[in-house]
Amino acid sequence: MKIKFTLNQEIIEHEVSPNKTLVKMLREDFDLTGAKEGCGGGECGACTILFNGKPVTSCLLLGVQADGQEITTIEGLSQGNELDELQKTFISTGALQCGYCTPGMILTAKGLLTENPDPSREEIKTALSGNLCRCTGYKRIIEAVEQAAKNYR
Amino acid sequence: MKYVGQSIERVDGIKKVTGDLKYVDDMKLPRMLYAGVKRSPHAHAKILKIDTSLAEKYPGVKAVVTGKDFPKKAGLYLTDKTFFAVDKTRFTGEAVAAVAADTEDIAKEAAELIEVEYEVLPSIHDAREAIKDGAPLIHPDLGDYRIVPIFKPVPGTNISEHFKLRKGNVEEAFKKAHRIFEKEFYVPHIQHTPIENHVAIAQYDRDKNLTVWASCQSPYAVRAALSDAFDVPLHKLRVISPAVGGGFGAKAGTTLEGIIIPLAMKVGNRPIKLTYSREDEFVSSYVRQALHSKFKTAVDKNGKLLAVENEFIWDGGAFTEYGVNIAKSAGFAAVGPYDVENIHCDSYAVYTNNPVGGPYRGFGMAEIHFGIEQNMDHIAREMGMDPIELRRMNAQKPGGTTATGAKVDAACGLEETLEAVVKEIDYHTPSEQPSDPNKVRAKGIACGMKAPSMPNNAGSSAVVRINEDGSAFLSVSAQDLGQGSDTALTQIAAEGLQIPVEKITIKTGDTDHTPYEWQTVASRITYSAGNAIIKACDDVKTQLVNLASQKLEVPKEELILDDEHVVWEKDFTKKVPIRELSLGLQLEDGSGVHGPIIGRGSFVPEGVVNFDPETGLSEKPVVFWTYGAYGVEIEVDKQTGNIKVLKATTCFDVGKAINPELVKAQCEGAVVQGLGSAIFEEIIMKDGKFQNPNFTDYKIPTSGDMPEMTIHIAENPQYDGPYGARGMAEPAMIPAAPSIVNAFYNATGIAMNKLPLTPERVVNALKEHNK
Amino acid sequence: MKSFEYFKVKTVAEAIERLQENPDGSHILNGGTDLILRMKENHLHPDRVIDIRGIEALSEISFSKEEGLFVGACVPLGEMAHHKSVMKHYSMLADAAELVGSGQIRNVATMTGNLCNASPLADTATPALVLKAVMIVEGLNGKKEIPVNEFFKGVRRTALEKTDLVKGVRIPYEEGLQGSFQKASRRKDVDLSTVCASGVIIGDEYRFALGAVAPTPIRLPQVEKLLKGKEINQETIKQAMDLIEDEISPIDDVRSTKEFRIHLAKTLVQRCLEQMA
Repeated sequence: MKIKFTLNQEIIEHEVSPNKTLVKMLREDFDLTGAKEGCGGGECGACTILFNGKPVTSCLLLGVQADGQEITTIEGLSQGNELDELQKTFISTGALQCGYCTPGMILTAKGLLTENPDPSREEIKTALSGNLCRCTGYKRIIEAVEQAAKNYR
Repeated sequence: MKYVGQSIERVDGIKKVTGDLKYVDDMKLPRMLYAGVKRSPHAHAKILKIDTSLAEKYPGVKAVVTGKDFPKKAGLYLTDKTFFAVDKTRFTGEAVAAVAADTEDIAKEAAELIEVEYEVLPSIHDAREAIKDGAPLIHPDLGDYRIVPIFKPVPGTNISEHFKLRKGNVEEAFKKAHRIFEKEFYVPHIQHTPIENHVAIAQYDRDKNLTVWASCQSPYAVRAALSDAFDVPLHKLRVISPAVGGGFGAKAGTTLEGIIIPLAMKVGNRPIKLTYSREDEFVSSYVRQALHSKFKTAVDKNGKLLAVENEFIWDGGAFTEYGVNIAKSAGFAAVGPYDVENIHCDSYAVYTNNPVGGPYRGFGMAEIHFGIEQNMDHIAREMGMDPIELRRMNAQKPGGTTATGAKVDAACGLEETLEAVVKEIDYHTPSEQPSDPNKVRAKGIACGMKAPSMPNNAGSSAVVRINEDGSAFLSVSAQDLGQGSDTALTQIAAEGLQIPVEKITIKTGDTDHTPYEWQTVASRITYSAGNAIIKACDDVKTQLVNLASQKLEVPKEELILDDEHVVWEKDFTKKVPIRELSLGLQLEDGSGVHGPIIGRGSFVPEGVVNFDPETGLSEKPVVFWTYGAYGVEIEVDKQTGNIKVLKATTCFDVGKAINPELVKAQCEGAVVQGLGSAIFEEIIMKDGKFQNPNFTDYKIPTSGDMPEMTIHIAENPQYDGPYGARGMAEPAMIPAAPSIVNAFYNATGIAMNKLPLTPERVVNALKEHNK
Repeated sequence: MKSFEYFKVKTVAEAIERLQENPDGSHILNGGTDLILRMKENHLHPDRVIDIRGIEALSEISFSKEEGLFVGACVPLGEMAHHKSVMKHYSMLADAAELVGSGQIRNVATMTGNLCNASPLADTATPALVLKAVMIVEGLNGKKEIPVNEFFKGVRRTALEKTDLVKGVRIPYEEGLQGSFQKASRRKDVDLSTVCASGVIIGDEYRFALGAVAPTPIRLPQVEKLLKGKEINQETIKQAMDLIEDEISPIDDVRSTKEFRIHLAKTLVQRCLEQMA
């Protein structure tokens, strides 16, 4: 099926089979491998991308559902070589270790801060609870989001 | 020191936050095929017949293999496993056959078309049954398996390792006891759940070179295992681990790599990828073994532990190629961080038809400390003593002995770590109770210890090359699994070379190009690879100093490295930049001396000796013990049974923190992973079949479960560690579960001898208790 | 996933037409967090999937005291939970919606979808029951309204025809209503309910509903009758608790035993009462 959508601020025309999930379409057809398939069931959040600015688990969306929508992946977060504030604070606070959950985690945080530029700690914890991390214990991730929120303002 | 001890930012941060880093599943190779696996639905069954004809004909299928194609056994310590079941299957989910096809979907569909005829055999799922005489044998040929000689299997039984520790005389000690305490504990199977599932790609070219890309902790161990199992010589076998999305032991040794090799050998130089689904990850990689433990402890009237008799029965699952070492490691640790003169310990690795047990962060220590640390609190209460005082009295201290009779190291910091957490959590002040009468809060403490459990000759090596611009390459095969080894090892190299971290690029994970590393496990890398790197830097220094001495005409002994220069220590203005010497020295007449600077270092720990096979005693069985403690405060909802960990504080004696923030980050992750094992995680099995192989029903902690954490570090230097460092990544998790369970007792008066403390178990225990 | 025909429809009429072409082999795609998962796991393999998210009218959410709350079928749970009228007048529904899955799921999943799945533990089902929600449906024979207490027929079975499309849920406004939603789960965030409960007091009338204790989410008519007009005290609570056991039929499963569900059912109803007091 033919679809037309905005991918990382670029308008794309693409042909995709209806039974291909959005995460597989991004990874296989566009080589945007930042979104990872950690569980395939919408539980781990590693496949999180921004769908019209809102974080969604792309393993539970079909590629064809991107038609007419705006998709942002981790690759689209930096402007060229300029890192987004969240990417900078994740590094500066040490909010990543193996890095596998990191793209999804950053995008969920981005979605949160776009909607709520001054979230409380509890709000951050709740927003991120759909992104599993086995390495960090979450502490620095939350600090990175708090710091980025300050930096954005 | 300029670089070591600094909390510099990770060197691999940018590629991870941008999604630029390619993990193995992100790799797309030209003409790549995909593997699909047919797995056994039975826990124990003879394979009578496999009909692959429908799969072979399925459009898009390029190759099909079954176990009979490659029946050679593999295994790290004991060669008891095959990558495919050969004559029989021993656990539900074992690979029986596989296909290679054009797409992942075709591969899965074709694999389903493989027809297997089984004769179901009686299966055993309780290690206490499997250990008995007369139990159905899961490995009748155990006696014929190759095994590293320090292990003691019992052929004709399901016991693949029996470690005995016999220290002093427990019988006499029990006779003298003021009191004797007996307790039993059980820890269920759990899984590591790295967020990245196992994945590997294999390619076999027509010149018989085999290349494997795998998310693995130990490329050299994978290489060795595959070479042996598939008769490929090492110089024609390349293993590359470009990135690992979490290991925790799950990606140590080998798991799925052997499934794709036979396929790769049949498809004429086409790469074949196998990516585990989350369900595969749960069922068919490694799990943490379940443990049935028994303790019998004798104390004198003051609370001094006189003797401990204990028994560990490890549910090793279908293959214990790795698990035998977990049984042994638990055996020689036996009583935890306490000085006990008389010990009688039997630790058994037992086969069952349960999923395959393997290394999980802690390697047996978390499992035994669940019992050890609860036992200590229990003894304290019974004796009317403060649990901290009981621990102080019995703690291993410099001058005392460990369980194997070795001297406790002069740098043993156990007491310091215990005092740190007692103070931080204010253990002796009871918790403030919440206003809600249905909730209750309390604090808990636990200690722990661990040593790297590795062969005495487990080696590390490093190569350092100086580039013409004075920058450097550091080549090691230590894997950064997230723990930060890329960064810490670069810091060690920077310190040794006096070249800044930003000017050193670390290269890892390619057996063709990065030199031998035994495995990235055991919390050994900072210590072992770190030492190899220091030696490699010393080698570079020797070469540079030789050349500089000629150029500057000063004695070699008076030259040092500083700030990217070789400098005369008597006059800092007499120096030569390292970059000028990178290709050797050029003399005034134009001629050259020496050539390119390449430093190499090899390290094996010294003086580590085997255990006595009968008594388990040894004067130096391990390179070091890492000690530490936890303090937690929890809140229990008495009506729903939910437990919240409000606060956690930990302190571990790391010798020297090469990068303090990375050390703390490891400790934070360990707290949360430990919390998961205490209150959420359990593999629910019915007749060996995993009932909850997904995140819907196997819950791990989310950000919402995170406690407030305060992490302390103690630094009593490891005498032979790089700048005094010793390993800490696994020790950091060990006291987590017992500290929470001890807090639970303090909150409710109930001792829980099984994990996890699910809401249902809590409510039932409260009901029982209130009767 | 097996292949299928995919239609993105622009109107309700178009959706029904597509359903009619193959009633047995069609499935509506709304949020998709349940459908796509089940298709990936091979529990479902429809011949055709009809994506209704392009139907503008279904993304509407509106409130008035006269009409009550209308939540269009395609309104995501996250949007619904943060809608000011929902937070003000139906806070228990907002509470329930906020506890479905993760933030990511809530950006896509819908209340209509949650109800149409008819899982016994659906978190928005018990609020719908006690708030007397009505399913606004259109089918081959035109428009119809199905009260939620007639909607659930069994595990994953509803009163809908194969050619019906749910356009949304309407919840009446009742002045002076007080409500509470309670959820028991293994983990605080992103977990299925072990048991969930909703309670409402309006005037002297009580309404209770429980999830995950029967093949469908259920009201508790006996408990409601017992408590009607009565004061809430230790005696009446005890009587209510005893009756709960008679009204529910929980099962053992991988998440819980039936005994524990009975315990949680009682606990949660008690907590509803405490919150509403």
